[in-house]
Amino acid sequence: MPVLRLPKFGSPVKYAYITGRVRALKTKLVPAEMYARMMNMDMSEIARYLEETQYKDEIDALSKDYSGVELIEHATFANMAKTFRKLEEVSIDEPSFLILEYLRRWDVWNIKTLLRGKFYGATDTEIVKHLVPAGELSSERLNELAKKDSITDIISAFDGTDYSSALAQYDGKNLASLENALDKLYYFRMERAVGGTLSVGGGLLLKYVRREVDIRNLITLFRMNKAGIDAAVIQENLIPGGKLHDELSRMAGQPFGEFLRALEGYPFWSSISDIASVDLDAVSRIEARLRAYLIRYAWALSNYHPLSILPVLGYMVSKETEVSNIRKIVRGKEAGLPAELVEEQVVVA
Amino acid sequence: MAVVADAGTLYGLLAVGAGLATGLAGIGAGMGEQGIGAAVVGVVAEEPGFLGKGLFLMLLPETLIIFGLAVSLILMFAWTPFSGIVTP
Repeated sequence: MPVLRLPKFGSPVKYAYITGRVRALKTKLVPAEMYARMMNMDMSEIARYLEETQYKDEIDALSKDYSGVELIEHATFANMAKTFRKLEEVSIDEPSFLILEYLRRWDVWNIKTLLRGKFYGATDTEIVKHLVPAGELSSERLNELAKKDSITDIISAFDGTDYSSALAQYDGKNLASLENALDKLYYFRMERAVGGTLSVGGGLLLKYVRREVDIRNLITLFRMNKAGIDAAVIQENLIPGGKLHDELSRMAGQPFGEFLRALEGYPFWSSISDIASVDLDAVSRIEARLRAYLIRYAWALSNYHPLSILPVLGYMVSKETEVSNIRKIVRGKEAGLPAELVEEQVVVA
Repeated sequence: MAVVADAGTLYGLLAVGAGLATGLAGIGAGMGEQGIGAAVVGVVAEEPGFLGKGLFLMLLPETLIIFGLAVSLILMFAWTPFSGIVTP
């Protein structure tokens, strides 16, 4: 068992600084109505708009290396990594510990990117472009890892860390099982770390994480039930640890209509009830609605405990969503997708 | 009526009371301010324009000290309990 860093427990006052800071940062997020306007802008206009916002430094710095979609994509990711790192650096004790624990999802993302890149034979410069050093692994360490020759070299570089058990599942043929194992590890770690804190915020963070696991599982269920995949295969892909895990795993493999009826009455049902029907054409619409629900849930929790980790969590979730929304819009524009299709995917809480 | 009391002791107790009034008010205001101060510094780090409003919010608990100070001043200078004391 890896060693868990135990945080020192503090009074809510320890959260005053960081919550004040994220509330100020929240006002700088791209307002929801801007997404609709961005749909009508061309790429250079979007870049110019972003230059007027918090993304200015990154757009300026990266504009000599990239242009168009790539510029926006890299600038948004770089800004997100910088912001999250800053949040972690300016907080102390319990807030810092919990933020880092949340940000490990980006470590998982980076490890997945590294492995996928190596798996498909991408060069190390190509891989580095897509890394987001927002988690514990620094950009130097990630660059070092990207330079390794093969997947097995990368896996052996993680020997002795938490990730080694998940990475050991690599069978040389496909990455799916390994990626699932990494996801499961992330949520397992999160639960263990949050369980070790005593403040109310820690408990509520766990509540959010459990809800997030449920929503992720629900999206998996939507996709796989729609495709009519075998119950056993679906259950294997569900992430354990969610509050509704047993109920959701029972829904695996059900006929789609029955599955939808079973969902009625759950708290997230009201946010998808108008589009969830048997003849649902795209699960991504449901996904966008459920993600929006999750953001609202995070901010709703933060109202109960204003001096806790929850406003920070709400901000981080909103920021991640903002970056993914901007990416969806620019990528959709580049691919020439119809505006309505892209608009459906944009998550607005 | 002859109340036997040492005027010096009484005056000393009065001074202690006056001290407690200001001191405890100060401690209470400080406890209230710690969170506000930290939050204001956090906001100002991101939004320098918030400094004025932030300082105003920070000074709100400070008004409590004025109550304490007023009580202290009344105790020390405006209230004259010694008029009733007749030393033997």
